Amino acid sequence: MFSIPWQFPRAGIARRIGTALGRRVQRWARQRQGIDATTTQLRPGRVYILPTGVGLIYALMAFAMLLGSMNYNNNLSFVLTFLLAGLGFVAMHQCQRNLVALELSFAGVEPVFAGQVAKFRIAVNNHSKIARHAVRLYTDDASSEIADIPAGESVLFTLAVATHRRGWVELPRFGIRTLFPFELFRSWAWLHMDLRGLVYPATADRAPPPPATQTSHGHRQHDARGEEDFAGLRRFHEGDSPRHVAWKAYARSGQLLSKQFAGADTSSQWFDFAQIPVPDVEQRLSILTRWVTDTDRTRAAYGVRLPDREFPPANGNAQRRRCLEALALFGLERHDEQAARH
Amino acid sequence: MSKPRGTDGSLLASLPWTLSALALALLPHLQFLPVWITGAFLACAAWRYLIEKQRRLLPSPWLRGLLALGCFLGVLGTYSSISGVGPGSALLAVMAALKLLETRKRRDQFVLLFIAIFLVMSSLLREQYLWSLPYLLAALLLIMTAWLRMSAMRAETAMQSFRTSSRLALYALPLAVAMWVFFPRISTPFWAVPIDTSAAISGLDDTMSPGDISSLSLSDAVAFRVNFKDQVPAARDQYWRGLVLHRFNGRTWSGNEPMLDGRARDEIAFSGEPIEYTITLEPTQQQWVFALELPYSWSLPRTNMGRQQQLWRVHPIDQRLSYEAVSYTDYRADLTLAAMFHDWYTGLPNESNPKTRALARQMHAAAGSNAEFIEAVLQKFHSEEYSYTLKPPALGRDPVDQFLFETRQGFCEHYASAFAVMMRAADIPARIVLGYQGGELNPVGSYLIVRQADAHAWTEVWLEGVGWRRVDPTAAVAPERIDAGMSASMFGGAAAAWGLYAPSEFLHRLSLSWDALNARWNEWVLGYGPENQDKFMQLLGMQKPDWQKMMLTLLGLVFGMIILISLLLAWRYRAPRPDRAAMLYRRFVKKCGMALQTGETPVAFAARARASAKLADNVIDSITTDYLVARYGRPDPGALLRLERQLRQLDQR
Repeated sequence: MFSIPWQFPRAGIARRIGTALGRRVQRWARQRQGIDATTTQLRPGRVYILPTGVGLIYALMAFAMLLGSMNYNNNLSFVLTFLLAGLGFVAMHQCQRNLVALELSFAGVEPVFAGQVAKFRIAVNNHSKIARHAVRLYTDDASSEIADIPAGESVLFTLAVATHRRGWVELPRFGIRTLFPFELFRSWAWLHMDLRGLVYPATADRAPPPPATQTSHGHRQHDARGEEDFAGLRRFHEGDSPRHVAWKAYARSGQLLSKQFAGADTSSQWFDFAQIPVPDVEQRLSILTRWVTDTDRTRAAYGVRLPDREFPPANGNAQRRRCLEALALFGLERHDEQAARH
Repeated sequence: MSKPRGTDGSLLASLPWTLSALALALLPHLQFLPVWITGAFLACAAWRYLIEKQRRLLPSPWLRGLLALGCFLGVLGTYSSISGVGPGSALLAVMAALKLLETRKRRDQFVLLFIAIFLVMSSLLREQYLWSLPYLLAALLLIMTAWLRMSAMRAETAMQSFRTSSRLALYALPLAVAMWVFFPRISTPFWAVPIDTSAAISGLDDTMSPGDISSLSLSDAVAFRVNFKDQVPAARDQYWRGLVLHRFNGRTWSGNEPMLDGRARDEIAFSGEPIEYTITLEPTQQQWVFALELPYSWSLPRTNMGRQQQLWRVHPIDQRLSYEAVSYTDYRADLTLAAMFHDWYTGLPNESNPKTRALARQMHAAAGSNAEFIEAVLQKFHSEEYSYTLKPPALGRDPVDQFLFETRQGFCEHYASAFAVMMRAADIPARIVLGYQGGELNPVGSYLIVRQADAHAWTEVWLEGVGWRRVDPTAAVAPERIDAGMSASMFGGAAAAWGLYAPSEFLHRLSLSWDALNARWNEWVLGYGPENQDKFMQLLGMQKPDWQKMMLTLLGLVFGMIILISLLLAWRYRAPRPDRAAMLYRRFVKKCGMALQTGETPVAFAARARASAKLADNVIDSITTDYLVARYGRPDPGALLRLERQLRQLDQR
């Protein structure tokens, strides 16, 4: 099947030439269109169209039928031939129209751990009075589900991008395409929104246990916020605040129990980049990531100390996000800035 | 590695459509296809549908290969060739059936739909009727709907698909009409492929054996239609010459040989008034061409006159043909007859029909001259108890003897044959001419319809100094058959006498109107060839039409229409106009110096706006009320006007 290069093929000389050509086309399109805003409406001028393999066969068939009709001077088969030709022309315009004036907006991407698939969400908005049929989004390696977009509505598409390294996963370009109505033509548009999503370091499979909890002389804090979520009871330990003793339970059972609060800073840990007994930076970051996610699951507070910055112990989603983001971008941001300056 | 054969029911939405499209495409072929192919197709279709429905496995490649081989051999055995429309459409039907059994993915159905299109096309090549156009439109719509069903989302109903394909076809229609009108027609084909070698030959046989058939079936199928330019010749002069038979073996007349001769026509002396007319000949699959006796000129390429003054075309007439011709009813052909030909036209087998020959010799001796002898024979047919019937008894050995002396009942063939035999027995050269006689003048459209029922046989005798002279012995027996024509005679008292059942007058009138419509259709739609196109172009105002001008017009029109269609589509896909009330309300929100929160109702916003105290409470309330009425209430132009006025007031402040 004839195909325009929106997938980078894998092997073969012809394919490599195709790939090179594809890259040129890509560069040309990017230059021509410029960088898109995160909400972009498709002008007619940037919705491209080419016949598909089926379309070429169809054209060939129509031509053969024309020759046949001419040879036999058969006026009804002329009618059939010309109707097919007319349908071809109409299908071409219908196919392009199926994309024109759609509005694509970036609807976010959740951070993932390296090795996981980042899911870029793109909302496609149909402002027109007519439904759009069989539209799909695609990247160089993957494509979304096919969906119809009813009139006046919008549909959320997901583009999966594989990640390999921590840092930013970039989606410099993606496309939207359709084969509607008869798959005779394929119209598509490229979008260069320069999207990127955060990739945390991969969690280490094997990590040494996190360093022991620092109790008496540590950074114990009472976080007022953390007392709001009652999480359960546990046996009273020396040092627990008398305010947390469950006096009612004591009255019933005679046992001294202490209330536990989610987010409460009951014991805090410091995870120090410098103290991890592994030479490799990436592995250290992975181990830190593992510690952070594991500890976060227990709702205990933790702090992270990196060579260039530190996060005082806390717990909750905000802390998790802060720390993982720092781990993801450790050593990269400066680089980025330098790159930006040049 | 073998392909997976499992099915998952994903074809259920489109398969019934594809199957019905194929079935509709196959429909016009049914009467020509051998039964086993239709059976095979239906069986495969049902089988395939069940496989999908019950999510079974497709048949194995081995089984499919075996079936394919069997079917191919079957077609080869049935047709003994694979070219031509007959075997071609049989092969297409078989291919569709077999392809069905390996169609697993939705996109595989493309092939099936392409086959369906070719089947429709080949049915049009075979025959074109008035209903062929609605048929082809319906078939195309069904095919295109099936095409859409193939890639339709699950939520889309079949009705929606049908509407989409109808809409697209409607857009394509003007394009198709423009292309059809302006695409230059050429007169000569690139290559001559017989359209259908297997089709039954309709019309005249090229042999004649009176007595073999005991009943003449009167088909009302049209043989040809004639438009006379000026006057319609009298019915008794309407002899449409076809073939000439000169060989007689005692029972059967044969020997229609073209014997093309470039000088054949020049040796005929024409006189009198020329009769100009146009014949639209239905396909006969034969090579002889009919014309009024005797044609002087004809506008049909590759058609020549033979030595026996019959017209012969190089290619069989496998399509409706239209040609102009000029004839003279007054002519002298072959004033001299070579000795060889004299022997040809007087030859009789020695043993057959002895009584007839004896009678002829006796009558010839009694008559003074050849002319008187001819008169005597005709007189015998006329005065003795010979009768004209379409249901004569079958004749055994020596059929002419049996007819002349025993049964004395027959139709044109019997009389022509008996007459020719008697002439030959008296050494007068004689031959049989087959063709049509008469026809029915259709008052609707005023043209002559010549039907198969008008088929006729007559004789020609050669006389010294006169040449070939037509003698129609049937006229001596049943003059009304000749004077009024067969069709008209069928309504007279003659019909009952001939053993005919005449249709009702009303139905006949209806059929005449229908025929007139068909004739128009044939002339202007099916017969839209180079000449008609030329005429039509001049009617449209094109000076000296040629293919370049037509092609340019075509391209211009198609280009213009495509632009129009793209504008139409753009208009269809326009964004709805923003609601006026909503626009006014948005201005009001801005004036309040606040923004609407997501999901905030106008009432909730009004409460917030009052709290902010930027505008007067009563202004806020009245604008909110009017907006709610204008936007969501019953149609009330007053509310919108009030809204406009209040916002104008706000602007002025």
